[in-house]
Amino acid sequence: MSNSNFYDDAPVEAPGKTFLDSTEMVLNMGPQHPSTHGVLRVILKLDGEKVLGTECVIGYLHRGVEKIAENRTYAQFNPYVDRMDYVAAVSNGLGYCGAVEKLISAEVPKRAEYLRVILTELNRLASHQVWLGTHALDIGAITPLFYTFREREEILKIFEKYCGARLTTHAFRIGGCQYDAYEGFDREVLAFCDAQDPRLDEYEELLTTNRIWVERTKGVGILSAEDAIALGVTGPVLRGSGVRWDLRKAQPYCSYKDFDFEIPIGLTGDTFDRYVVRIQEMRQSLRIIRQAVAGLPEGPIMAKVPKVLKPPVGEVYHSIEAPKGELGYYIVSDGSTQPYRVRVRPPSFVNLQALDVMVRGRLVADVVAVIGTLDIVLGEVDR
Amino acid sequence: MRPFLDYLHSSVTPGEYGSYLWAVIYILIIFAVASVAVMLMTWLERKILAHMQVRLGPMRVGPHGLLQPIADALKLLTKEDILPDEADKVVFWFAPVWVMMIAFLNYVVLPFGRTHAVTDMNIGILFVLGVSSLSVLGVIMAGWSSNSHYPLMGALRSSAQMVSYEVAMGLAIVSAVLMTSLNSTGTGTLSMIGIVEAQKAAGRWYIFSMFPLGLIAFLIFAIAMIAETNRAPFDLPEAESELVAGFHTEYSGFRWSLFFLAEYAAMIGISSVAVTLWLGGYLRPFPNLLSGHSWDLAFSLFPGLIFAGMALMCLIGAARMPKIPQMKVQTIGLWLFGGVIALIAVVLFLPGVRERVQDIFWFAAKVAAFMYLYIWYRGTFPRYRFDQLMKLGWKVLLPVSLAVLILTALVGIRQDLSTVLMGVLR
Amino acid sequence: MSVAPLLRKIFLVDLIKGLSVTFRSQHPDELITEQYPLERPWIAERYRGQPRMAVNPDTGESLCNGCGACALACPEKLITVTSDRDPVTKKKYMTSYTYDVSRCMFCGLCQESCPTDCIELSQDYEMALYSREGMTLDRVRLEKGPEPTEYAR
Repeated sequence: MSNSNFYDDAPVEAPGKTFLDSTEMVLNMGPQHPSTHGVLRVILKLDGEKVLGTECVIGYLHRGVEKIAENRTYAQFNPYVDRMDYVAAVSNGLGYCGAVEKLISAEVPKRAEYLRVILTELNRLASHQVWLGTHALDIGAITPLFYTFREREEILKIFEKYCGARLTTHAFRIGGCQYDAYEGFDREVLAFCDAQDPRLDEYEELLTTNRIWVERTKGVGILSAEDAIALGVTGPVLRGSGVRWDLRKAQPYCSYKDFDFEIPIGLTGDTFDRYVVRIQEMRQSLRIIRQAVAGLPEGPIMAKVPKVLKPPVGEVYHSIEAPKGELGYYIVSDGSTQPYRVRVRPPSFVNLQALDVMVRGRLVADVVAVIGTLDIVLGEVDR
Repeated sequence: MRPFLDYLHSSVTPGEYGSYLWAVIYILIIFAVASVAVMLMTWLERKILAHMQVRLGPMRVGPHGLLQPIADALKLLTKEDILPDEADKVVFWFAPVWVMMIAFLNYVVLPFGRTHAVTDMNIGILFVLGVSSLSVLGVIMAGWSSNSHYPLMGALRSSAQMVSYEVAMGLAIVSAVLMTSLNSTGTGTLSMIGIVEAQKAAGRWYIFSMFPLGLIAFLIFAIAMIAETNRAPFDLPEAESELVAGFHTEYSGFRWSLFFLAEYAAMIGISSVAVTLWLGGYLRPFPNLLSGHSWDLAFSLFPGLIFAGMALMCLIGAARMPKIPQMKVQTIGLWLFGGVIALIAVVLFLPGVRERVQDIFWFAAKVAAFMYLYIWYRGTFPRYRFDQLMKLGWKVLLPVSLAVLILTALVGIRQDLSTVLMGVLR
Repeated sequence: MSVAPLLRKIFLVDLIKGLSVTFRSQHPDELITEQYPLERPWIAERYRGQPRMAVNPDTGESLCNGCGACALACPEKLITVTSDRDPVTKKKYMTSYTYDVSRCMFCGLCQESCPTDCIELSQDYEMALYSREGMTLDRVRLEKGPEPTEYAR
């Protein structure tokens, strides 16, 4: 790793000190720890409970997804991207399909784009539900997890009905969608949206005004706007710091400019602001879904794409606003059926950089809260 | 030494009666009942928490998972007993024993009824305070001897937390003890039974006396006792998401189960103290409003009725079980369980038993309400951070409890005070 | 500080609101647990589960014509098809077919590529086995489908 003498620079035997002098404690948090969201390992240097420094050790879930891409055809690689950010598989598919479509200059039909918007926004809701549940669990509230998973279950049922899988959906294909909306799709999605609003109010009753929750999150893990931009942080973490940057508005893709929605931003960039931003984003997602279902056009759902895909020589970068931030795919084509190189810009990986800035000088309990608020998925960090 | 069986006709505790044999019998009974209560409590906690979290909880071992505690206990007993290499073996071995011992030591003075206590110590409440502050020692021993980071941090948190909440708790208790002295004789008592009898004589529970002072003192105690037993939202020493399992991270199998048992025993013990001090202990509710012989009879029928209702629920549930071969054993189990409860209900209706048992029932019912609150808090609240916990303890609870104590004293001597003031003015 | 928030803080309104949410959730109607072996989960029509091969219901012949499109489409390359050419009719026919479920990720690309709608991912989901050996399915097992498991207590 980069900082090899991280363990060694604690002043163990400084001259003139008796054995009762205090030293720093190195605490190894993870890879098996209840609240590191999988297999993140954080090495904490502690003075009592105060954090003096952190180092993230990643790679425990590395599967070489980018290398796999070089040995698969463009269509074959599509199911693999679902396995990176597995709580937001549909968004991954949207990013990858969008990148390849840009490469081959395919025109995706309007109906397919609207279906994609509905599904990705549903997936954003599902991803934020998982974040809310686990984040609350990290801070000690065990019950919201079950409520959010109950709502997520409804979303997954819609996914299962639409494309036959719940988690790793493989919902989209290059050039459009494989499956058309099933009978009663719009009705079900609207019913879900209507049921969701009171549920969100319920979460807010449990947490937003709760004094313990407010004390645990307000002023914790502050990330200033300058720091956020300098660290390359994206998504709700960036918006929580007060930067109004959402790729759905800034570089509209996939018909997002047809919809009317707002970008919630925070003021101080603390954990509470990020919590509020994500809750508001969930409400905005419901708004987008309602509009998309109402305006779902008729027509084909697949563009004219050759069965054996041979994109022209070239390279392309396409990024979307995934639930966790900017998810980018950089694809280099050498003209063959398989990509020459695929590079993924995962939002979790970049956001994880901010951990050290956010927790330095704070307490161990805040480390857990900050890891939760960064909303990382280790499948995406390690790829 | 008076004849052994004569005790049954007396109306004092074994301690007062002076019979060591009866004291030992009482200790054994209390230990057994408390252990069963702890097992039931683990089942109830899992069930109630599950229902709050829209789940079912244990359903497979016995009807509605009733035998789950037994299965858990068997599993824990047969588990490998891991002793870490680097641990301090003696202290590591001794810590759970100590915690367990201390948790059960409180039960010596708890009055489950007018005659149902091991002994009626004249310094009962001091004994409770002294003993419960010792349990932190076991936690520190466990954390230190494990020779591991997480247990050490858990132990440090625990010691700081318990010490700082002990202060507010003690002051709240003092204000309750002060209330016992506010009678015509002007002498108070520290004995647990004495405190309950004082409430009976005063005609009201201390939670309602000097409103709202009694209520505030009770609330302070209720908060401090959660912190004292390391339960959510003050479960920092074993904060799962931060410290894995806190001070008992390195423990497994039987040793771990001792910690577990001690935690629940301490919960029941400290709730019993709260019940004794503020909620009238073993007294039945509404002693003034609904007094008279017929009301006494009605209230003494209550325990039997509750058990009869539970039995009815079980039997209806058993009758409505799906009639499929997989559920056969479960159905038979539920019939049996309902039958046992019905039997208990019938026994509780017998006049002789009814009179002697009803104070135990009221005590248990009040403690059970506290147990529900413990579970309810755990299901709802996030966890405090360490510095916030300290802030709450020292900056909120301590001043408020001091103020309550002073106000209680002032209100108590208001008549003397006014005469003195009048004299000075004259 | 205005009075209303202070009073709300003193009377623990925020905490009581949270407590009421968890208390309401105890209502039996809110339960969402499925008692799995007794209660079967709901499965969508388009569900992608254990693979099956369709046979012509009239003749009992396999619909597979041995083209190998599924083997080509599979990202994990876990399908092997061997085929032969009929000496009389000069038509390709499938001689053997294996499908390694242990590596399958149920993406559905094989079923999309099949020209005769022979291979499909069915709605069966109980595929757990004690060893990897039984996970390589041959043609016979693929055509027969999974044997339903009886769970006894």
